[in-house]
Amino acid sequence: MGVWSLQFNPPIFLIPHQVSTNALDFRPQLACNKTYQIWNGKSKYRSFLIRASANTSGEEDKSVKDEVTLTKLAKDGMVIIQHKVSRLQETIVSLPPVVFLVKRSPLSHLALGFCIAAAMLIVGVRAYVARKLRQKRTGSVADLVRRGQLNSDRRGISTPGMYDDPFNNPQVKISRNNTSVEMCGKVYKLEPVTLTREEQNIHQKRRSRAYQWKRPTIFLKEGDPIPSDVDPDTVRWIPANHPFATTISDITEDLAQNNVFQKHGVPFRIQAEHEALQKKLEALQSDQKLNNLAIDPGTARNFERPFKSNPKLEDQQQMEHNSKNGQTASQPESQSQQNSHESSSNSTYEEKQTL
Amino acid sequence: MSSLRFLPNPTHFPHLNPIPKHPPNPNPNPKPKHPFTQIHSALQYNRKPQLTGPTPRVVVITSGKGGVGKTTTTANIGLSLARLNFSVVAIDADVGLRNLDLLLGLENRVNYTVVEVLNGDCRLDQALVRDKRWSNFELLCISKPRSKLPLGFGGKALVWLVDALKARQEGCPDFILIDCPAGIDAGFITAITPANEAVLVTTPDITALRDADRVTGLLECDGIRDIKMIVNRVRTDLIRGEDMMSVLDVQEMLGLALLGVIPEDSEVIRSTNRGFPLVLNKPPTLAGLAFEQAAWRLVEQDSMKAVMVEEEPKKKGFFSFFGG
Ligand SMILES: Nc1ncnc2c1ncn2[C@@H]1O[C@H](COP(=O)(O)OP(=O)(O)OP(=O)(O)O)[C@@H](O)[C@H]1O
Ligand SMILES: [Mg+2]
Repeated sequence: MGVWSLQFNPPIFLIPHQVSTNALDFRPQLACNKTYQIWNGKSKYRSFLIRASANTSGEEDKSVKDEVTLTKLAKDGMVIIQHKVSRLQETIVSLPPVVFLVKRSPLSHLALGFCIAAAMLIVGVRAYVARKLRQKRTGSVADLVRRGQLNSDRRGISTPGMYDDPFNNPQVKISRNNTSVEMCGKVYKLEPVTLTREEQNIHQKRRSRAYQWKRPTIFLKEGDPIPSDVDPDTVRWIPANHPFATTISDITEDLAQNNVFQKHGVPFRIQAEHEALQKKLEALQSDQKLNNLAIDPGTARNFERPFKSNPKLEDQQQMEHNSKNGQTASQPESQSQQNSHESSSNSTYEEKQTL
Repeated sequence: MSSLRFLPNPTHFPHLNPIPKHPPNPNPNPKPKHPFTQIHSALQYNRKPQLTGPTPRVVVITSGKGGVGKTTTTANIGLSLARLNFSVVAIDADVGLRNLDLLLGLENRVNYTVVEVLNGDCRLDQALVRDKRWSNFELLCISKPRSKLPLGFGGKALVWLVDALKARQEGCPDFILIDCPAGIDAGFITAITPANEAVLVTTPDITALRDADRVTGLLECDGIRDIKMIVNRVRTDLIRGEDMMSVLDVQEMLGLALLGVIPEDSEVIRSTNRGFPLVLNKPPTLAGLAFEQAAWRLVEQDSMKAVMVEEEPKKKGFFSFFGG
């Protein structure tokens, strides 16, 4: 029953002037029986016979009789009976269209199928659009990939937005009476801030009583003596194994300050290193001039190197070298004397050895 | 939120008057604004915010408790200020666990830090990393993650830095934002040394609030009187269910003026991944707008007059079911 009545209710399926109004007036306990009875009467519609067979016709007759007797007992029985009968007739008249509808069920199945297909299509398209939007959304792990923090392919980079006024913005709408605001599509209730200057001062006083503190102005390593001109309250002790701070500095305070304020030129450290290097080079060159040697870096290095004091080992290495015809990676120092066209890799190797 | 200069008496606030329907626009906006907005938003701020106070404004962003959003706040407010045409130097004073460079996407460009400047390995201007997106934004890191900061000079090093920035050729920056490390250790002491004002970041939970109160007390002891707070990671849905303290509850506990209220927003973590601060997002997100408004108030030394307390269900159209 329920299923059918659901289908009948939408006005499209109803042919004007009938069923629904009456059906509403039926008394509940009767409604069922009566309709079944009607369907029974219309015996040519087999399908309904089967459904109705649950109720035996005798029972239905009886209930109708009961109804009739009941109404007879009432003083104004006649009127009611007449009313009932007319209603019954009306119902009977109105039923064929319903049945007609049911008869044409193959067509309605088609319509139903079409509706379902359309709904599925909508759902599918929606899911697809949603996925598309999600892919467009930025700030995913893909961006970590882009920044080289993770290893994978590069992906798209979006353009930055510009909106110059955060208060007067299509995304921010304040209601006329200032009691609510709409931000990014959501409406929020507003409540005024009530904090007063006095309350702020009270809190400040409370805090100044609760927390008494002097900011340390000097950091000392544990165990260091406190300088005479320093208030012990303003000393912060830094343990030697502090994870990221140290009191040790290889530079004086004045020098550090100068470094910070340096605006032009080469920074102190770079300059100092540069100068030291320059001096060393000059010393080297004058040394070489003194010895009347050509200024060739390779020979200069050889000249600097102290010879190895073990002649036996040298001889051994020499022999080894000869047998391998100069293909070994490790070459003894004596060989470099023989071979004036030393490759740079050899000389670096020597440096490593002597260091 | 608070643009939310929520005012019982609109006459005190000229921009609330009906006059500015077509306000004088100092920086003419090429794209026409939606006429609907013009009528419905109570505020017409078609102007650059008015910078108040002597420059450089040295602002330390601190919290006491870790992980409440100091670095996020520094990056977003810093870039908002830069977009409002103020020159900004953000100093990452989080010595042990620096990550401001990551949030800004500048991690590959940090070659020198303050430690190298102090040692004379480079000049200060070489250690400043200029953001390519907004050239008036510069980042300065205190130290490399694995090196130790020499504290022998105390907080003096940062004072020198600020002085050197003041004296530099291209002019003194309008804002110097200092991202303070968590805790009240040596790093905190160093970071607050040069500051004149402070932004206290807190979340609406009791643990963060206790630390925030302590830190406020220490800042006040140090003579920093201009302290405003940003309440971060606010969830209006939890506040409505009384599961989270409201912003006004927080204010009652700390007694500080509100610079901003930042809602919990998943875009925050996405922007962290991208190295692209939230305020640059398009379309703007809730948290991005809130940061921008906070930056605006910082410039004008203003505070919030009203806060968003709860979300009202918005009437949805019939077709919103299909539209998603
Ligand atoms: N409004 C927010 N909504 C969602 N997540 C947030 C929000 N604010 C911060 N976060 C997240 O909280 C985490 C910590 O933020 P952040 O690094 O800014 O804190 P912090 O105070 O600088 O931490 P630390 O004390 O370690 O320096 C980040 O992962 C960030 O994504
Ligand atoms: Mg941080």
